[in-house]
Formats: sequence, structure tokens, C-alpha cells
Amino acid sequence: MIMENIDAARLQMAFTLVFHIIFACIGMVMPFFMVVSHKKWLNTRNPIYLTLTKSWQKGVAIFFVTGAVSGTALSFELGLLWPEFMKHAGPIIGMPFSLEGAAFFVEAVALGFYLYGWKRIPEKFHWFTGIIVGISGVMSGILVVSANAWMNAPSGFDYINGEFLNIDPVKALLNPAWFTQALHMTLAAFTATGFAVGGLHAYQVYKKRNVELHKKAFKIAITFAAIAAILQPLSGDLSAKDIAERQPVKLAAMEAHYETKKGAPLYIGGIVDNKTQEVKYKIEIPNALSFLAFGDFNAEVKGLNDFPENERPNVAMVHYAFQTMVGLGCLLVIAGIVFFVAKFKKNSWFNIPKFWLLFSLLAPMGFIALEAGWVVTEVGRQPWIIHNIMKTKDAVTPMPGIVFSLYTYIAVYTILTIAVTWLMARQIKFLNDIKTYEA
Amino acid sequence: MYVVLAFLAVSLLLYVLLAGADFGAGIIELFSSKENQAINKKTVYQVMGPVWEANHIWIIILIVILWIAFPNYYNILVLALHIPLTLVLLGITLRGVAFVFRYYDAYKDNSQILYDWMFKVSSLITPIFLGLTMGGVISGNIINPSEMENHSFLDVYVFSWFNTFSILTGCFYAALCAFLASIFLIGEVDDTSKPIYIRKASIATILVVSLGFITLTYGYFYGIAFVVDFIGNIWSISAIVISGILLFPLWKSIKSGRIIVSRVLAGLQIFFILFAATITHFPNVLFTTTGSISIFDRPVPQSVMNVLGISLLIGGALIIPGLFHLLKSFKLIKLLER
Repeated sequence: MIMENIDAARLQMAFTLVFHIIFACIGMVMPFFMVVSHKKWLNTRNPIYLTLTKSWQKGVAIFFVTGAVSGTALSFELGLLWPEFMKHAGPIIGMPFSLEGAAFFVEAVALGFYLYGWKRIPEKFHWFTGIIVGISGVMSGILVVSANAWMNAPSGFDYINGEFLNIDPVKALLNPAWFTQALHMTLAAFTATGFAVGGLHAYQVYKKRNVELHKKAFKIAITFAAIAAILQPLSGDLSAKDIAERQPVKLAAMEAHYETKKGAPLYIGGIVDNKTQEVKYKIEIPNALSFLAFGDFNAEVKGLNDFPENERPNVAMVHYAFQTMVGLGCLLVIAGIVFFVAKFKKNSWFNIPKFWLLFSLLAPMGFIALEAGWVVTEVGRQPWIIHNIMKTKDAVTPMPGIVFSLYTYIAVYTILTIAVTWLMARQIKFLNDIKTYEA
Repeated sequence: MYVVLAFLAVSLLLYVLLAGADFGAGIIELFSSKENQAINKKTVYQVMGPVWEANHIWIIILIVILWIAFPNYYNILVLALHIPLTLVLLGITLRGVAFVFRYYDAYKDNSQILYDWMFKVSSLITPIFLGLTMGGVISGNIINPSEMENHSFLDVYVFSWFNTFSILTGCFYAALCAFLASIFLIGEVDDTSKPIYIRKASIATILVVSLGFITLTYGYFYGIAFVVDFIGNIWSISAIVISGILLFPLWKSIKSGRIIVSRVLAGLQIFFILFAATITHFPNVLFTTTGSISIFDRPVPQSVMNVLGISLLIGGALIIPGLFHLLKSFKLIKLLER
């Protein structure tokens, strides 16, 4: 079967984004762990912290570069795959991208200082460049997410007879969705990276390798992750209310909600049957959807049937992705609470192997939730590339044979992933072999 | 508007220069004996480690400026040159990854051989395809999007860049990279290794001059509009001549060991080559089968230009002192102070 050009282009975009998101999140959040450990080294002069800082710094370098190259790839791909979109959207949402370029540049410069600055530049300034790396990384992330938010909440222009007129790039940057999306994503990045990094170190503790170091590493990473995870539901609530107002069809798909209803129930889990418009085997909470979306148990929630069939996303996919995200999110909130309780109980749980096993198993969950969240927002916006303005099929390149480009990317990224994983495994092994650096 | 154009020109120049030197270092390593490869690997790490990421960000800035300020122009590029741009991209990806792997892998074992090969080969391929893309822009084989329907897949998406002139341009740029890198690295190695790089630099110089000559001659005799006008234009031809004449003081300074002078001269040469290439037709710097297209074709609103100009200025104000300080801290410009 020959894949349609648009499907190949969408798959390629999705595929490269899935990877870029992971690389970029780790590259953006890990510097924070690194500077905390660095600060502890400066304060305590405990060589374990120096060892930890130096090994995290290698991780930062590796993920920064993979994030940077996969980001460069995306900046090309946007134009190569979606020329019609970029032609019109470029002038409108270019600003966050140009600022992102600047933030990224600052990050690269600061990272240059940090990586090569040991014993060459004053200690405090050296530490401070690490802070700059972290802040500019988060800035980059926020700016890119703002550009994505614009696709969900197009603003800053007038759309008249197929022309984009009266362009106001500042208004487009500060579109109605930018804040909720950027907040949700930043917290998600901290949660996902924290649990992933913490989980890897927890596994090392569980295996009783270099326990002292890995325990310290775990605590730093999980503290960030737990705080972010516990705050995330609040941000999720803001996002849900925002979507309910501006993208009701997306909300309806997230909840597999077909008929417009007052006092709509919330479905948890379930199997969606798009033909019969039924959700089987679900748990139903009466009136909860109306409350979550509008803060009123009897508010009217629009159902999918209020929208023309060719303007609805793939309901099952969006619903499952949303359930995955929320479910794992809740799990991580509980894990975060467990960690704080353990901390409060003066370390007693830290001696139970099962505690470490639990956190090792949680390592991938944050990223699975995060990717699921992106599926919700991107698939949920379909068939539009710019919500209610431009359809994805009208934006795709006329060049045939994108499927070959897709295969190439799959091959290259698969190899990259294997290589990066292997490299990380070697870093950890190395860390366990050498014990500590000379101070 | 002028701010945006200036930034576009500066990023193009810096990308060609800095990334060029970066690619070139890999190309040199590809064509070196085993021991020289090891010296090169070490030097590249010391010299380019702290800054190589920054070198490559210029292309992102370049692309972002193009798509914001000149969307129609950009649109034609990404359609017609989809394939070489994808290949450039793959090259950049592999190269970046190989660079990190070969310096950051915790263990130095046999896997280094693979990383080194990845690095060297992608260092050669990427500038060739970059040059092919640039050649495609000026060779006059790009088909205007409005007429694409009347042409075959090969005409639109392949022959626009896969033609003798573009391939020559690609090789020319790769040689230029090697030229830049060898001159740059002469100043970074210790005295015993200097002769190696001086030899490389002389080979690269010969290659650059002869490839440049062949490319222009070919273009002239096959009536490539860009080249014909280029040779007829007093500004561009004199810029090329100046660039050629600069080779003499350049070699004099290399022989007498004046590193900074040789670097400045090499940089100037690139400046003149780019100047010559753009001045003849500016702003019509894209050649299709049915005539050239201006970069200002269907311009974006003034408000967009203004905002972009302001954000570039802010960004520049943040970045340039930092970058300068970075270079200074790592004594890359220690020679300037000498």
C-alpha cells in the first residue's frame, strides 16, 4: 500500500517531534539538577557532588546537542513539509522563533563557558553560567510552545478572503493559549525529566551500585519532579477550561463526548466505538465534565455531533491519549507525595529496596504522559493546522514521495536513539567504575 | 528593513565562514594520515569544542529570517530544493552527533573509529550539498511554483539542483571549507605540526582557485545567466579579482607566521566572494527557468519587519558580548592582544 503524501508528512513530523521533545526536555531541565549539585559541591566540598555534577554535565552536553540538531531538523522540516503553512504563518509567528533563536544562542554560549570553564574561570561565575544555561533553555521551550499555542488559538491578524492581513506579531506571540500551554509544558518537562533521571539513579541504588552518589542524585532530581508533578493538575485545570472555551471540539474528542448535554458526565477509561458513538466499559462520574470544563455542574458541554464530520479529529486516539496522560499524571502526583512522606519520615523508607524499585519503574512514565499530551493537542486540532483557518491537507508540500523521506528519518532517528541510550548506559557504568573525581 | 537585511547578510557570512571552517576541519581529517588525524582530532576539540555549537546556530537564524521576512522567496527554495536541503540536514545531524560522541563518550575504545568516520564523511558531504543548494539557487534551473504542474517530478525537484554547475559549486564550497580550516588551524597547533597544516592549506588553495575558475568558465560557456552577468559586472568581477590578489599577502603572512593577519585575509576573501556573488543581481538572487525572482517579491508588512528587526537587535545585544567573552576566555583571540 502506498501511503498518501499527507500521511507520510504528518507521520514524519510526529516522529521527529516525539524525539525532539524528549531530547529538548532533558536538555532544558537537567541543567537545573546540575547547578543544584554544583552548588552543593561549592558549599560542602563533598567530592561526590563534584563527580555527580561532572557526570550530569556530560548528560547535558549530549542532550543539548541531540536537542539542538533535532531542533535544526525541525526548523527545516516545517518549511520542507508544510511550505504553504510557513508561507503564511512565518511572518505571524516568526517572532517567537527568532527570539527562541536568540535564547538558544545564549544557551549555547553559556554552555560553552560551563563545559570548558572548570578551573579556568572564577568559581562563582562558572556556577552562574550554569544557571544561564537552565534559564535560557526554559525560555526557548516557552517560546516554541507559544508558537504552537498560536496554531490552537490563532490571533494577531485578520483573515479576509483567504489573505492574512493586519499582522501583529506581538499579539500572535501573546495569543490566548500561550500561557496555559507554556505553563503546562514547563511543568511537564520538569516532571518527566525528573522522574526519568531520578528513576535511573533509583535503579542504580536498587542494584546497590555506588549507592551514596546515586541516592544524592535521586533526591535532587525527584525533588524537582515531585513539586512539578503536584502542581501539574492545577495547570491542567487551566488548560482544560481554556480548551473548553476555544476548542470545544477538541475537548469533546478528549472526553469522547458525542451529544451536547447540560450537566455532562466525565468518562474515565473505556473503549470508543466511533460508529455507534458509544464508549464501552467506562467509569462514569455524573456532571463532572461540566464542572471541570466550566466550573459549573450544570453547564452545557458541546458534543462532537454539533460539528461537521469533516471537522472532527480522530476521537478514539485523542480520548485514549488524554486518558493516558491524566492517568499517569495522577500516578506521578502520588509518587511525588510518597517521596515527600519518605523524606519526612527521616529516611526510613529510603532503606527499603521496594521503594527504589518503585521509582525505577516510574522512570518512563513522565515521558509517556508528556508524549500523550502532545498527541492530545496535535491530533485533537486536526483536520486543522491553524485552528479554523487552514487545513493540514492544504499546507502539505506538493512534492510526491515524502514517504521515502519518512523512511530515512525513521532509520536515522532509530539509530540515534539506540546510540544515545548506549552512550548513557556507558556514562553510568563509568560513574560506577571510577567512584569519585579528584577534587 | 535594513537591520533585517544586515542580519541576514551577517548570518550568511558568519555561517559560511565559521561553519565552513568547522566542516573543513573534518574534511582535512578525512584526507590525513593516521597520526595527523589524531593531532587534528585533539586540536579540533580544544579549539572548536567551546564554540562549535554557536557556529551552527547561524543557519537557524538564517532560516528564521528568511521565513519571517521573505516568505515567498523561502517558499520557492523549500519546494524546489527539498531533496538537497534534507540531505544537508541529515549531514548536520550526523555530524553534530558524531562530534559529541567522539568527545563525550565515557570510554575511549573501538567505537571511536565509527564516530570518527561519521564525523569525517558527514563533514565532507554536508558542505557539498550546501554548495549544491546554493548552486541550485543561482544555476537558473529552478521552476517557478506557478508553473510546476507542467513539468515532471525530475524537472521540478531534481534537475533544479542536480546539474553540472551546482555540483561544481558544491565542490567549490567544500574546497573553500578545507581552505578556511587549514588556515585557521595553522595558528592553533604547536610548531612541530605547523608544516602539516601549511601543506594542507596550499593544496586547498590550489583546489579553491582551480575549482572557482572551472565553475565560472563552465557557467560562462554554458550561458548560465548568473555567471554571464556576473562576469560582465564591474563590481563583482573586481571583488573576485581582489579576492584573488589577496592570496599573495595571505601566503606571505602564512610563511612569516603572522597568524592573525592570515585569518583576517582569509575571512576577507570569503567576504569578497559572497559580495561578488550577491551584488550583481541583488535583490534578484534567485534564478528560475523563467527569469530571476527578487527577495522582496510580495513583501511582508512593515510591522512584521519592524518587530523582527527589533528582536534581532535585542538578541544581538545579548549574544554578541557573550560570544565575544566566550572567545576571549578561551584565548581564541589571544593573538589579537599580542
